Amino acid sequence: MNRVLPLFRRSMVDGWRGLLGWTIGILAALFLYLPLYPSFGGNGQMQQIIDTLPPELVRSLNYDQIGSGPGYAQATFYGLIGFVLLTIAAVGWGTDAIAADEENGQLELTLAHGVLRGQVLAERSAAVLVRLAWLAIVSVVVVMVLNEPSELGIEFGNLVATAVAFLGLVSLTATAAIGVGAVTGRRTWAVSAGSGIAVYAYALNALGNQSDELSWLHDWSPYSWAYGDSPILNGWNGTIWLNYAVVAVLLLVGWLAFRRRDVAV
Amino acid sequence: MTTDTEAAVSTRGLTKRYGATTALHGLDLDIPRGSVFGMIGPNGAGKTTTMRLLLDIIRPTGGDLTVLGRSPRDGGAELRRRIGYLPGELHLGTRVKGREFLAHYAEISGPVRKGAVDDLADRLGVDLGRPVRSLSKGNKQKIGLIQAFMHEPELLVLDEPTSGLDPLVQQEFHGMLHEAKAKGQTVFLSSHVLSEVQQTAHEIAILKQGRIVERSTVAALRENAVRHVKLVVAEADAAAARSTLDALAGVADTASVANGPGTVALTATLDSHVDAFVKAVALLDLVDLTMEEPDLEEMVLAYYGTDLSSTAEPVDADRKSAKR
Repeated sequence: MNRVLPLFRRSMVDGWRGLLGWTIGILAALFLYLPLYPSFGGNGQMQQIIDTLPPELVRSLNYDQIGSGPGYAQATFYGLIGFVLLTIAAVGWGTDAIAADEENGQLELTLAHGVLRGQVLAERSAAVLVRLAWLAIVSVVVVMVLNEPSELGIEFGNLVATAVAFLGLVSLTATAAIGVGAVTGRRTWAVSAGSGIAVYAYALNALGNQSDELSWLHDWSPYSWAYGDSPILNGWNGTIWLNYAVVAVLLLVGWLAFRRRDVAV
Repeated sequence: MTTDTEAAVSTRGLTKRYGATTALHGLDLDIPRGSVFGMIGPNGAGKTTTMRLLLDIIRPTGGDLTVLGRSPRDGGAELRRRIGYLPGELHLGTRVKGREFLAHYAEISGPVRKGAVDDLADRLGVDLGRPVRSLSKGNKQKIGLIQAFMHEPELLVLDEPTSGLDPLVQQEFHGMLHEAKAKGQTVFLSSHVLSEVQQTAHEIAILKQGRIVERSTVAALRENAVRHVKLVVAEADAAAARSTLDALAGVADTASVANGPGTVALTATLDSHVDAFVKAVALLDLVDLTMEEPDLEEMVLAYYGTDLSSTAEPVDADRKSAKR
């Protein structure tokens, strides 16, 4: 090996077009939503609209805090459109890392060369997580740029905590796809695992919002782990790191299975 | 490290099962270092399974396997760097250009001699400046060959290497194999037809339904192959010629066929004993003698035809005949 991390660099080079596209998508979403806040949310207009909606719907969409600047950024971007966009990217990249490469036959060729399976899994997972981290950083930068002009009033420290929680949540869907791909080698299963966990996390959180009797569901929702304590208002809390712990477990399980099993069968 | 005397590939009782189906039934195989070894067999015979086992892409269910003195499982990346592998089904869907694609593999399996990739690309005639996925099947195959050959590995494992290549490129590929052998590299290649390996391989194994049904050299196959002969004699000599043929060992299916006025043609088949045959017929007044080149492919097809699963207890019976 002449240079370090060849597979990581290959993945990054192969994926730069996609990353550029997602970056533009994140920029577009933030620049469309956040500047609307002063004319829409800040003067109470938004709250009036929200008050006319069925409370179940408002709670499902996590729109209860939408009347404040931080709540608006959380409800529109981090909790909804940003979550959806990055989940799609994460599941796609996570599936490509092992499962799609194996199904289209190229993983066999790569593994026949001077690499270890753990190395392939580690470097490709790192490439996925670094790309997701890049998108989370882009969101922080754009929110800070728009913070003053859009009168959001978000504190930088709280924003960083939110972005870290956000990254943990989408990393979970990515590593679910990577891990299931590493165990099964099947594209469909990897996609199902990644998107399934995102839907599960969101749906469980939405159900938990409905009433006090159901709020225990929050304990089992990765979405609630990330956002349950409103990091955009309250800053850091411990449950943010739960998603990262599950990410580590998924990668470990994926690695244990991947190093043992037959590839390309 | 390893001595030259030990086999490049050695398997004992190598078995691979996928759930209920058995792909390999206890394969015993020795491929000497510096040799060109051909494995032929119909689709699904276990050729690709055997090769994937050598590269640790799949793991054996049972038996022993050493490649360049190491078990593929323990040898890891270090061992695979000493092997060049061309998969049987090469799917190259990447958008990157050929040169960049090869540079990636050179980086993980290198070192690659400077200029080696371009030399190979020139020989095989493939444009490395084009995106790999836009190349034709044959040109993708050339890229596959380059990544297998470029780091001049000790062992080349090539699964149906000439598939998709035109005859001129196949010729060039055979030249590459001869050079590899001259450099002391070991080559293990597979095909479903003999003609692809007979020009280059010394030893061959015929694989069928996960078992080796014949192990031989191309020379020995040729020696034992059935030849079609035809001799033309004057009508007056026909009876003498006929009795000469009938008296010879190894001659069968003798028949007379009309051959224009005044002459008679006799056809027969001959298995081995070429020398005795030629000496015997030399005593006749021959008008013409034709001896066809033996059709080795026909022989191999005969092996393919033997159905190993038709009898009630096939395993042991076939083992005995297969493992002579």
